[in-house]
Amino acid sequence: MNRATKLRPSTSEMNYFPDEVIEHIFDFVASHRDRNSISLVNKSWHKIERYSRRQVFIGNCYAISPERLIRRFPCLRSLTLKGKPHFADFNLVPHEWGGFLHPWIDALAKGGVKLEELRLKRMVVSDESLELLSRSFVGFKSLVLVSCDGFTTDGLASIAANCRNLRELDLQENEIDDHRGQWLNCFPDTCTTLVSLNFACLKGEINLSALERLVARSPNLKSLKVNRAVPLDALTRLMSCCASQLVDLGVGCYENNEPEPESFAKLLFAIAKCTSLRSLSGFSEVGPLCLTAFIPISANLTSLNLSYAAEIQGNHLIKFVHFCKRLQRLWILDSIGDKGLEVVASSCKELQELRVFPSDLHDEEDNNNTAVTEVGLVAISAGCPKLHSILYFCKQMTNAALITVAKNCPNFIRFRLCILEPNKPDHITSQSLDEGFGAIVQACKGLRRLSVSGLLTDKVFLYIGMYAEQLEMLSIAFAGDTDKGMLDVLNGCKKLRKLEIRDSPFGNAALLADVGKYETMRSLWMSSCEVTLGGCKRLARNAPWLNVEIINENESGRMERNEEDEREKVDRLYLYRTVVGTRKDAPPCVTIL
Amino acid sequence: MEKDGLELEITELRLGLPGRDLTEKIMKKRGFMEMIMTSSGSNSEQCESGTVSSGVDVEKVNDMPAGKTQVVGWPPVCSYRRKNSCKEVSTTKVGLGYVKVSMDGIPYLRKMDLGSSQGYDDLAFALDKLFHGIGVALKDGDNCEYVTIYEDKDGDWMLAGDVPWVMFIESCKRLRIMKRSDATGFGLQPRGVDE
Repeated sequence: MNRATKLRPSTSEMNYFPDEVIEHIFDFVASHRDRNSISLVNKSWHKIERYSRRQVFIGNCYAISPERLIRRFPCLRSLTLKGKPHFADFNLVPHEWGGFLHPWIDALAKGGVKLEELRLKRMVVSDESLELLSRSFVGFKSLVLVSCDGFTTDGLASIAANCRNLRELDLQENEIDDHRGQWLNCFPDTCTTLVSLNFACLKGEINLSALERLVARSPNLKSLKVNRAVPLDALTRLMSCCASQLVDLGVGCYENNEPEPESFAKLLFAIAKCTSLRSLSGFSEVGPLCLTAFIPISANLTSLNLSYAAEIQGNHLIKFVHFCKRLQRLWILDSIGDKGLEVVASSCKELQELRVFPSDLHDEEDNNNTAVTEVGLVAISAGCPKLHSILYFCKQMTNAALITVAKNCPNFIRFRLCILEPNKPDHITSQSLDEGFGAIVQACKGLRRLSVSGLLTDKVFLYIGMYAEQLEMLSIAFAGDTDKGMLDVLNGCKKLRKLEIRDSPFGNAALLADVGKYETMRSLWMSSCEVTLGGCKRLARNAPWLNVEIINENESGRMERNEEDEREKVDRLYLYRTVVGTRKDAPPCVTIL
Repeated sequence: MEKDGLELEITELRLGLPGRDLTEKIMKKRGFMEMIMTSSGSNSEQCESGTVSSGVDVEKVNDMPAGKTQVVGWPPVCSYRRKNSCKEVSTTKVGLGYVKVSMDGIPYLRKMDLGSSQGYDDLAFALDKLFHGIGVALKDGDNCEYVTIYEDKDGDWMLAGDVPWVMFIESCKRLRIMKRSDATGFGLQPRGVDE
């Protein structure tokens, strides 16, 4: 090979362009992964890419420190941060585990970063950090908080008061301590830039006239999602104010019995003007009549989230959904039933994403006729050719149904099936559901996310390892027989980034077989499995670039060094790759090996 | 809860008769029945501790039919959704559990767990917290603007505080806090229910 004359045409020619031109070309490269790739081509590209990077996505806030991030991307404008592991959603992670926002805001402010957008998921946010955020970044435009906690409406008041150019305040499913305050009043009269306002998750009362005035002076407002403290007549007034530009509406008002005819007529009139409305959600304390009022614009809807509409019975849901011919995204409760899903299948031909949530978690009724089964799933798969993402809580499943679904929908990217009763077999054949899930992974070549449930042996993991080549995230619960199951997944799924396992018999042999694998992954969660303290210690020794965290049952004290038994099973293990070593903010219940 | 070796194993939940070998290792395959615990969906603090130590719970567990027990964090519905979407009371059932509470002038409903209160004073305190310090009266406090009434299983509206507590929680279907001035003409059932 004659290295001296070997040409590398593309990069060497490109380097004759001035940096600004290269940077302009990079502007067209939006995805994080692609940008990461181009930064690796050569030193020059690395430098240009660094200074031109505007958006950064950090999937695990402990994988890197804020200081290092800012050093590398000093010109960043938009930051996405994720904190607690996914299973924190299900009360499996102690409240004080970590994921604190404050150090990030502190570093960004000190580093002179001109932050404009911040998106957080499962982070602990304090009022102090919100206040610091509001004061530190003049051009701050957009705050999106998903499943966060630790703050109150006082923090929101700081944001409202100090962010002069605020365009977006989007609060999704956060636990916010509501001081029933006047935070809405804190938006100055000069604030006219709001495009999106979502406070549906707030529990308390709000100042209705402040809200109305705010909406009235926000000519660009496209998305408004209110909480349950906004009654029907107030909502009607709000809608009338911004009807023509409203794209996204969240309804949530208490309705005593039925609205008065006059209020209802006003509501209908306001709805008729909402010609741009494409997305509807809320309805958490609302009766069916209010939903019916939206039928006139239902044909325009592309997104519908009725998963909090516990007061609306199945037949009303079905009646409404029937009109939503252009629906692409549907989140709904299982009270819609199999029959309702059949209606969805015949009416919503554009459907891409479906989530069916359980309406009765306490399983009070033995014969819960309105839950969904494999029948609904098969109907959807047959009727909706564009379906690519599904989250389905059901009470029973069969292999035959899953095989049919796989045949009907080879385009699944996300397939999350949760059979409510753990270890439940195929309810007709009493066999495990290995074959059914096997069919899914074999048919769906582009599958990136999978959650399995029901009775499953090691076989299903053999299939997953063999066929799920694009799989990035796998969630396992009450499944498998031996370490071989987990090994097949770790060895087979080359693109695996997140693996979360609970209550499955995988132990040290699987954990330790290929330590290098974890460098290619974001994180691994194992709870109530068979891994022992000794195994975790060995892993930590062999992989210094991992944080291996043991979350103890005993929340009040660290494990006593003398008493620990290496054979003791670890209740909760969370490990993740990191470039900054052991974190300093772990609470006593977390031991980092 | 401290790990105290054998002491913990005695209290560990098992299926099967007492007197089994307590040092026996748990089988590799953990069926969910082995770590069931009596946790209610909203009691996350209990959920996070690893085991239940009360003997009473073991009995409860063994009596309950399969599929009716609660597993920590299962089904995997996020805690926000659990608290905000699921039907917590069916309109036909009465007794302990969540009841809807409405208050005149407030445009939204609350739900509260009657079972978590020990008596009328407790209830008054809980209602107070629910509606943020309105000063709800339960027992004929003349200085209060509001009275608390409840709908019983016969569909009648009664003034809260008259009947013994146990009888009250067994028959209360929903609560309403109404202005005292409106109550007089409301058609409440007369007092003097047989005790």
